[in-house]
Amino acid sequence: MSGEIFNPNPTVFRSSAKSHSSRSLSTAKKSLWINEPEWSQPDQETDEEEEAIDQDEIFDLIRNIYDPEHPNTLEELHVVSAPQIDIGENRVKVEFTPTVPHCGMSTLIGLSIRVRLIRSLPTRFKLDIVVKPGSHQSENAVNKQLNDKERVAAALENPALVKTVEDCLTGRV
Amino acid sequence: MDEDLPYTLSNVAQLGGHEDRAWHIAWNPAKSLLASCSADKSVKLFTYSHDGEGTLNFALAASIPTGHLKTVRSVAWSPSGRTLATASFDSNIGIWEQELDDDGNPGEWECASLLEGHETECKSVAYSSTGTLLASCSRDKTVWIWEVQPDSDFECMGVLMEHTQDVKCVAWHPTEEILASGSYDDTIKLYVDDPQDDWFCCATLTGHQSTVWSLSWSPNGKYLASASDDKTVRVWRRNGEYEFKCVLVLEGQERSVYSVSWGVGKSSQENDSSLGCIASAGGDGVVRVWDLSENSSSTADVPLVRLIARLPAAHGVFDINSVVWCPRKGYEDLLATSGDDGMVKVWRIQRT
Repeated sequence: MSGEIFNPNPTVFRSSAKSHSSRSLSTAKKSLWINEPEWSQPDQETDEEEEAIDQDEIFDLIRNIYDPEHPNTLEELHVVSAPQIDIGENRVKVEFTPTVPHCGMSTLIGLSIRVRLIRSLPTRFKLDIVVKPGSHQSENAVNKQLNDKERVAAALENPALVKTVEDCLTGRV
Repeated sequence: MDEDLPYTLSNVAQLGGHEDRAWHIAWNPAKSLLASCSADKSVKLFTYSHDGEGTLNFALAASIPTGHLKTVRSVAWSPSGRTLATASFDSNIGIWEQELDDDGNPGEWECASLLEGHETECKSVAYSSTGTLLASCSRDKTVWIWEVQPDSDFECMGVLMEHTQDVKCVAWHPTEEILASGSYDDTIKLYVDDPQDDWFCCATLTGHQSTVWSLSWSPNGKYLASASDDKTVRVWRRNGEYEFKCVLVLEGQERSVYSVSWGVGKSSQENDSSLGCIASAGGDGVVRVWDLSENSSSTADVPLVRLIARLPAAHGVFDINSVVWCPRKGYEDLLATSGDDGMVKVWRIQRT
């Protein structure tokens, strides 16, 4: 990771009150990729509930991810917000807004969002993570990287990168 | 909707065992073996045979731990069926042969050679039709061509740096020494050997709007099918020596198409204009099969195509990473798929 900080003076917003979602989805699991109990029963779709997941629940999962460069969460920096989450039939699309158009941390932020959601959501959800249109100078290149399944899989086999992602997820930035 | 289609895909086998997503599968062209590889870093070999009552049974024959340090992304058999190549995210290619034990019976699969050179993850590996050449490609944007020599020696014949981004797949022409590669740069490139000089890129096919994930030549070698992140399968017709034109765009897939395979189809009917069947699969979890034939009536060079089978949720909610027709005589109606659920499944196409 280069020593250059892309946005030395981000605008920090106050976090809103925790959403009132009654259902809690599990967060940081130990296993990086495989959700052990689900793995041993690949054909079983035994999510306890088949209720619809809403924007607030997804937002609750990603709001506390830390920005890689600052001791602030993605919510505080207005990088993610509930209205920027689109949910459809077995699919979730998260749009996030980098703090500056030349943000080189965008792929790392996008990857952190993906890892958090993969670990927390039922496997039936297809995830699309994109930057807010117009918010980044290399929008298409960033989006392509973030949604290339093979690149993501290879990235998550890179121990240094995985550690950086974990730091964003746990706040040890 | 599916009831309208003339063929169905019925399940023949569900093969578990991989502990992580199953990326790729390859049918041995000479023996009754199906190989699969996985993010769990292993290769599994399944045998198949008919029992007394005409049912085809599949069973695990061997699990090769490989020793690759990361995901095994792709496997390929040599035309003789005696050698297996593995491509790994650890950037290396493994060459595997089955040792004979003291009684001359086939024993363990051993690593006969390790091909190093790629700088980043290796994505695909393929043997040419004669088995004398091996091609590999990587996120390092290169395609390597290796000459297969006796004693599992491999000599690098060329490093082709024509793509501007990761190279996702390589596929050899069924009869000629022409190599095709598909890339994250949205293009397909074709390469041939200049006897006086080196391997070079003789054509670049543009048209896809996103990454090209998979390539498959038609059995007669006149067409090339490509599967892309843009949710389409394109069919390219060879019009000149190295001149290709896109003649069909197959739509309907709802997410990235990760794999395409062109089989001979139900060519037991002696139909000269039949081009075979294209099977596709990807992120929407659906296997689709199209039947193609030459269009003799029209002046246009566009083949006739119709969707003949559709199998939703072949691996449940999971992505399908690979779909491959069996190349062996007598088994042309078999189709294998591998998915993010770690499963390898075998299907038979039959009349509804």
